[in-house]
Amino acid sequence: MDILINLLPHLVNGLSLGLLFGLIALGFMLIVGVMELINLAHGSLFALGAYFAMTIINPDLSSWGAIGTWYMDLSLGLRYFLGLIIGSFLVALVGMGLEVCMRRTYGKKAEYGLLLTFGAALVIEETIRITWGSGEQFLPVPQMMSGAFIAGDMIYSTYRFYAAGFGAFMIFVVWLFLEKTPFGAMIKAGAHDSEMVRALGVNLTRLRLYVFAFGALLAAVAGIILTPIWGLRPHVGVDVVIPAFLIIVLGGIGSFWGAIIAGVLVGLVVAIVGAYASQWSLMSMYILLIVVLTFRTRGLLGKKSTLEN
Amino acid sequence: MNQRVAQSSEQILTVDSSEQSHRVALTTRKTPIITRQMIFMFIILGTFPLWSEWVGLYNYLGAEIAIWIIYALGFNLLLGYTGLPSFGHGAFFGIGAYAYGLTQLGIIESVWVGIFVSLLAGAVAAGVVACFISHRRGIYYALMTIAFGQIFWFTSMRWHTLTGGEDGLLNIHRGELNLGLFSFSLSETSSLFYFIFAILMVVTVCLWRLVHSPYGKALQAIRMNEMRARFLGYNVWLIKWSVFMISGAIAGLAGGLFALAQQSAYPDVMNLHASGLIVMLTLIGGGFVSYWGPVLGAIVFFLARDTLGAMTETWLLWYGLMFMLVIIFKPEGIAGVWQDLMKRREKRRLKANGSTENASGEV
Repeated sequence: MDILINLLPHLVNGLSLGLLFGLIALGFMLIVGVMELINLAHGSLFALGAYFAMTIINPDLSSWGAIGTWYMDLSLGLRYFLGLIIGSFLVALVGMGLEVCMRRTYGKKAEYGLLLTFGAALVIEETIRITWGSGEQFLPVPQMMSGAFIAGDMIYSTYRFYAAGFGAFMIFVVWLFLEKTPFGAMIKAGAHDSEMVRALGVNLTRLRLYVFAFGALLAAVAGIILTPIWGLRPHVGVDVVIPAFLIIVLGGIGSFWGAIIAGVLVGLVVAIVGAYASQWSLMSMYILLIVVLTFRTRGLLGKKSTLEN
Repeated sequence: MNQRVAQSSEQILTVDSSEQSHRVALTTRKTPIITRQMIFMFIILGTFPLWSEWVGLYNYLGAEIAIWIIYALGFNLLLGYTGLPSFGHGAFFGIGAYAYGLTQLGIIESVWVGIFVSLLAGAVAAGVVACFISHRRGIYYALMTIAFGQIFWFTSMRWHTLTGGEDGLLNIHRGELNLGLFSFSLSETSSLFYFIFAILMVVTVCLWRLVHSPYGKALQAIRMNEMRARFLGYNVWLIKWSVFMISGAIAGLAGGLFALAQQSAYPDVMNLHASGLIVMLTLIGGGFVSYWGPVLGAIVFFLARDTLGAMTETWLLWYGLMFMLVIIFKPEGIAGVWQDLMKRREKRRLKANGSTENASGEV
């Protein structure tokens, strides 16, 4: 019983972390599911979103005169909201640009897509470094969400709970979108049998463009929500894309619930291992991946996919 | 559904046959152990210290390029010949570097022993990893290699007592190279270069021989169609396992040489970025279509690093853009462009010959 009580805070922590991991993995999952493309630039889009939001929240408007002072007088909460919306839409545009570059690799080996996004990740990361510098930056959060509270003997950060709640909300929204809208039906059908979907008169080229944009948007949202916790550096993308792909593989490529379950599972494992051997907490998820994949070749809930060829 | 399968397999066939025509042409005849290209490369690289300063380069760059050519040639055995994308190869390079450093610092100060141990360490680590991944292919293969690469990288960062953490192992002396009758010091860069160059020659010839052996043909058969190779009676699992081990052993050897040249071993060479760089470098050079692709790739990469790096701080941006363009427009890389040029010249020559024949016929 004692062990359980000791473990409880770590479980809570792990669950919130898991929801956030799930949020990161969502956009990644959409792109993998529909386009059968491992988007290694996902993490860079995540970072880019956070940088955009940071600039929108705290822009350098000294030369703008009255408009500048007016803007800076707006409440932080409003500016944060603006940053979240505009920042993620800008990243969606970047995602569209990337998808257009991607088109020539369709129908070729899956590794080409992987490599192209690896190159794109490098380019985005370097662009961030040039534009915003390579130092650690800070993404401000509204007053009401910051701070900490004490429950039991542990101190919890308030923002973490808001973030986890938002993660759960986003997961719900994406689920609604995929299950209850015609667009979602098209996406799922496109993932299942793209040629049939095309034959039914759906413009697959445009569908792919939108899916990629949507995936990039989700990456940016995750970035804006998460960087206040994890810190904002140009290479935060690499730290993020690996858990994302790992969760997708663990959950099974193309499976929505697989990704969510795997996200929570990874969060719990990382938090619990972190409680006892903090140095090895990140390593535990790789071991989890290898153990699961050795026994369940397609992940927890995976189905057969063309990526295996 | 059936139609789709048929269509896709047809597509694979056509893609492969165009990609393969060159290699098949090479392998149907008995291939010489030493070829013209090989001699050409050896002459260019071997004379590097004589003209490096004259063109504004330096000897150490030559050593670095030679190390990475070894690494890339071994890697291309996996990527280009067997079609297995490994995104965690930096791990074996790093393991080789640590193995070299640990033997030098802890056991015996001998270059030969160190090099041998690093080769062995790379082979053992790769052999173990290969047990877990050899039944996979495609993206799952890539993902598993990323996971293993990260595990090794993480371990090297965290296992302070053995690896020295993020700083790595320092002060690995270059020492004396014992050649039986005499020995000479490797502390001078040009002698270091020639030592690495000699190993490069051995590796180049051995791998050339390997890919033109029946084993090498089996590798290419697996790349073209794994299932067909299995039906032909090849033990695909064993071949995939062994090629990963060989490739890892060569990465380990290159890592050992890297530790020798750098006089240190550190975890940076094992992270995802470094592992991705070797894939980029092999692909830009054209590892998919030519044995010499990785060589070109390594040379271009390091020249780009030095020349672009001297001009701008952000050379990785330009290199990344270049890489994207290569993937988009010419996935066969530099070697592919070269082959296209050769083909076009051949065609023009044939056409010219044909027209003169015609002309003479008329007269």
